[in-house]
Amino acid sequence: MQHLDHDRLVFLALGESEADHGETDHLGACATCRGELENLQHVAGLGAATQTLRDLPDPPEHIWQGIDAEINAAEELPSLTGARRQRSAPTEPATDSPAAPPPADDSRRRRRWPRWATTVVTATAAAALGVVGTLAVLDVGRREPDPAPQQIVLASAPLTAYGQTPKDANGDARVFVDGRLHLHVANLPDVPGYYEVWLINPRNMEMFSVGVLRDRSGDALLPLPPNVDLEAYSVVDVSAEQYDNKPAHSGDSLLRGTLTG
Amino acid sequence: MTAVRQEPDPPPRDDLAQRFRAGDETALREAYDRYGRAVLHLATSTLANRSDAEDVTQATFVAAWLGRETFDPAKGSLIGWLLGIGRRKVIDRLRASARETRVVETVRQLPDPVATGPDPDTVVDRLVVADELARLPDDQRRMLELAFYDDLTHQQISTVTGVPLGTVKSHIRRGMASLKRRWEVDGAAPGPRPAGLSGTR
Repeated sequence: MQHLDHDRLVFLALGESEADHGETDHLGACATCRGELENLQHVAGLGAATQTLRDLPDPPEHIWQGIDAEINAAEELPSLTGARRQRSAPTEPATDSPAAPPPADDSRRRRRWPRWATTVVTATAAAALGVVGTLAVLDVGRREPDPAPQQIVLASAPLTAYGQTPKDANGDARVFVDGRLHLHVANLPDVPGYYEVWLINPRNMEMFSVGVLRDRSGDALLPLPPNVDLEAYSVVDVSAEQYDNKPAHSGDSLLRGTLTG
Repeated sequence: MTAVRQEPDPPPRDDLAQRFRAGDETALREAYDRYGRAVLHLATSTLANRSDAEDVTQATFVAAWLGRETFDPAKGSLIGWLLGIGRRKVIDRLRASARETRVVETVRQLPDPVATGPDPDTVVDRLVVADELARLPDDQRRMLELAFYDDLTHQQISTVTGVPLGTVKSHIRRGMASLKRRWEVDGAAPGPRPAGLSGTR
């Protein structure tokens, strides 16, 4: 049996001409040609309907943020079925444990910082400074000049270079009983913007900004919110920030350390 | 009607699918930038509720990323695979809302209030064909668009474009063959359509 010419089937499918008598007879008898014609007609119909699909709107960015958040949450879990909050906090968040914020050169993960950074502190009054552990008397002889001698230290943290930061960058953080954070930094790398100090909850990476630093080396006393929960927000982080009107963490951490009482 | 259009370049055939499968994190964002529109369109055109549609879009990309090892680039395109995941999620959502509607109806004794949007399979097929159309060589795409959108005959296309009739025929035949093949591979019901689809019952 002589099948219909394929060009002819395309013609018919596009509605350019009607099947003549002989073609109609053939299509009635030949399932192959009939099926091909039906498929081509269907594809032509789909093709005609694509006109409205050429300029589809971009999806809103919050969908991407949702994807990013869900995937980060899923990937940080040992299994996809566990609940994130049930995981115990790592004792040293500055290591490469899954809960620790990744190095700043991890492009995808970097984007999640702004979301967390917008989370407000939800610490309760029950978690006031006084519960943070044994009191220690400041070692006044250790560093001169000390901006706040005779202060009682509630918690302290040595700060070390994080990620790609040159290893000679370092610092110390101390929380005084009067609710201020004393920060000493040294050898921070030169940055085009400024330095910002954060307290981070390593369990969920929520964070808030404590203040800014201007100098590569030096001391600062920064007031903390009166109800801050230092057991939860135990990581002190110094980041490099640009003058870009973005209040969120840049993702570029220079120093990190964990407060202990 | 004009044969001259300012079109974006067709998407390149590149290694995005392979990188996606291999877990390259930049590939996820690229896939979203490239195909997020199509997935969102599938969801918004089939689901009445915008927020449901956005949820489905988000869930589609999350499921695709977490299940990327089940994606076989040899069996179909990345967009076809993503739309397949989105289609299942849309259908799940439609079924769930149909159940809710039935409950409500039982209580209120109202007639079926659910507006029936386009069938998800049809939307997927259109998106797949649109993607293939965008990938065709310029000449083939241009002539098919004139045939599809402007309803021109081969002869009219030849006149409008100044391309000889025989060449027009050949472009259209090849373009149609590519669209059909792609529809068979990536459409909502993949696999070659049997000859005599509706003829021999």
